[in-house]
Amino acid sequence: MLNRTVPFTALSLALLTSGAGANELNPDVSLTLDGHYKQNDTVLSHREQGFGLGHTELSLSSPIDDLFSGRLTTVFEEHDGESEILIEEAYLQTNGLPLGLNVRAGRFLSQVGYLNGRHMHEDDFVERPAAYRALLGSHYYDTGLRLNALLPTPFYWQIGAEAFNGNQLSEGAEDIGVYTLNTRVGGDFSAAQSWQAGLSYLHNRQISTDEENHDHALDHEHGHDHSHGASYTGKNLYIADAIWKWSPNGNTREQQFTLSAEYLYADDLNTFATSDDYHEGWYVSGVHQFAPQWSAGIRYGEVDLREAHGDHFHSQRLKETDVMLAWSRSHFSTLRLQYTHQSATGFSNADNTVALQYVVSLGAHGAHGY
Amino acid sequence: MGTDMRYSPWLILAVLTGLISLPARADFHVFACEPEWTALARVFIPDAHFTTATSYLQDPHYIEARPSLIAAMSRADIAVCTGASLEAGWLPALLQRAGNPDIQTGQPGLFFASDHAQLFAPHDHVDRSMGDVHPEGNPHVHLSPDQLPNIAKALAERLGAMRPDNSADIFARYIKWRVNWNFHRANWQERAKALQGRSLVIQHTGFSYLLRWLGIDATMDLEPKPGLPPSASHLNQLLADPRLEDAAAILIASHQNQKPAQWLSAQTRKPILVLPGTVTDDSKTDTLAELISEIINRLESAMPEVADGSL
Repeated sequence: MLNRTVPFTALSLALLTSGAGANELNPDVSLTLDGHYKQNDTVLSHREQGFGLGHTELSLSSPIDDLFSGRLTTVFEEHDGESEILIEEAYLQTNGLPLGLNVRAGRFLSQVGYLNGRHMHEDDFVERPAAYRALLGSHYYDTGLRLNALLPTPFYWQIGAEAFNGNQLSEGAEDIGVYTLNTRVGGDFSAAQSWQAGLSYLHNRQISTDEENHDHALDHEHGHDHSHGASYTGKNLYIADAIWKWSPNGNTREQQFTLSAEYLYADDLNTFATSDDYHEGWYVSGVHQFAPQWSAGIRYGEVDLREAHGDHFHSQRLKETDVMLAWSRSHFSTLRLQYTHQSATGFSNADNTVALQYVVSLGAHGAHGY
Repeated sequence: MGTDMRYSPWLILAVLTGLISLPARADFHVFACEPEWTALARVFIPDAHFTTATSYLQDPHYIEARPSLIAAMSRADIAVCTGASLEAGWLPALLQRAGNPDIQTGQPGLFFASDHAQLFAPHDHVDRSMGDVHPEGNPHVHLSPDQLPNIAKALAERLGAMRPDNSADIFARYIKWRVNWNFHRANWQERAKALQGRSLVIQHTGFSYLLRWLGIDATMDLEPKPGLPPSASHLNQLLADPRLEDAAAILIASHQNQKPAQWLSAQTRKPILVLPGTVTDDSKTDTLAELISEIINRLESAMPEVADGSL
């Protein structure tokens, strides 16, 4: 473990101490620290009770030459007292191919849905919605290839496809385990209002639904020790998302209201699934940044799941309401207080909890997306 | 009904073709990060299409790389921005998502005004405890009477190189603009004599180049650190500042929250001047020269006793 961390630490310290703009050939280094105190354990949570560290990220990024840029994001996590270093992003990306094409290769966050392609430290709540935690393991990243095209329309219209190894979502033997398709459109209603809507499809080839694989499926269904994959999967996952943002005169510095909603649906869960067996979830979130340093938000979400037990399923249902208040001293530090209310059937440990979180970023701070 | 159905695929095809060929037909697209660069580029190429990412009612540091801007950037021929990290929070994401091969770092299609200016107060050492300080220096250079000609010349040259058929026209328009600017600048210089040595309370350094040029002291800032919103403790410190007594007014930009200035004004009975930080749609301030003239008008009326020769 020590051998693996030392090069990263030494590298980052060397770069951080070299002074701003001293050597522009060095990559941008950015470190995100995220910690929390959580009163109670909750269902489908990736954050433990008590004091804990969340997504500690060290990221290096830089143009490679005039055509490519690259990025490495490593995440430090602790599970049951054991430290882990995960590679969340390690990709190269083209800058400005003809015809509005854009290629990314390596490991990266899949662009399905609205939240999935965003970094966790940009989130408005302590955890992602229950539907994301169940169906995408909060955020699905994998190794593969992406091709996007921005269509030459007067409004924003992007289409994209990704092919992934698939092992970060669920285990399997396929070389190309996951395909995704995605389209999004967007624009402005006025100077004060902007919007975006998207549709995504994720095809998981590693979920077997063939009759002859019954025994194989039974062998594997309890060996679910894949801490970062999704706990609930299906051969097909469909996601629809919509975002609306409003700020007076478009001056987001002073005030901004963001309304976002997503719907997720997964079917063909395994060999034994009938057409009645599917996972379904959605959330609606409203966040109001009412002053330059303050924001408050409320989010409600539900998820209906089918937990596999041999040749049959158990129904599970979770309803979750989150209320949060956040204070950002600067663009680089946020303190958040959140109350979460869970009500569940089919889960034993649903609870209500108060959580206190900090998220800060040191070093270079990349531009945020929409 | 049957006839309608027969035509509908053709209609859809025609609409799609129309959508796709529309941007290709339009001749030259300019994407300006701030309205001052739209105003300047419009002087040289009045027939071009302009998209302006921000307005005088918005803080240009805090814009989102939203879908409409990605679409506009992807079909632009040139992007004209301030640079010096002013747009660091959104321009890189916009460039990456638009993926326009002509508008990338190092390409002629990406023009940064600050590359052609001498910025005030560059820092060798910057850390975040200093607030949102740009190591390159103060980026709000568009109100500098002495620096604008350099920027305008570089922009005219760039546009001329990109549109060789029009370069003679562009050069002629630049000469005309330059003569007009020098004429205005002589007028401002004359009027600066009455303003010299006065002082103002400001919020952020948006007007600093012009104020320095006019000889107005603007070192009292409502912001505790650059980019941080005014805090109660900082305003109380400011209230105790002995220099405050000499300040003629509190100057803030149109996009800023007026409450901190109003609080200080209520404590000190000093007037508040709310001025657009950049060009607007109003015909009185829709070019940079008119904007500077209008700012000077307003400064003169806020500092009336100077006419008595009391200084």
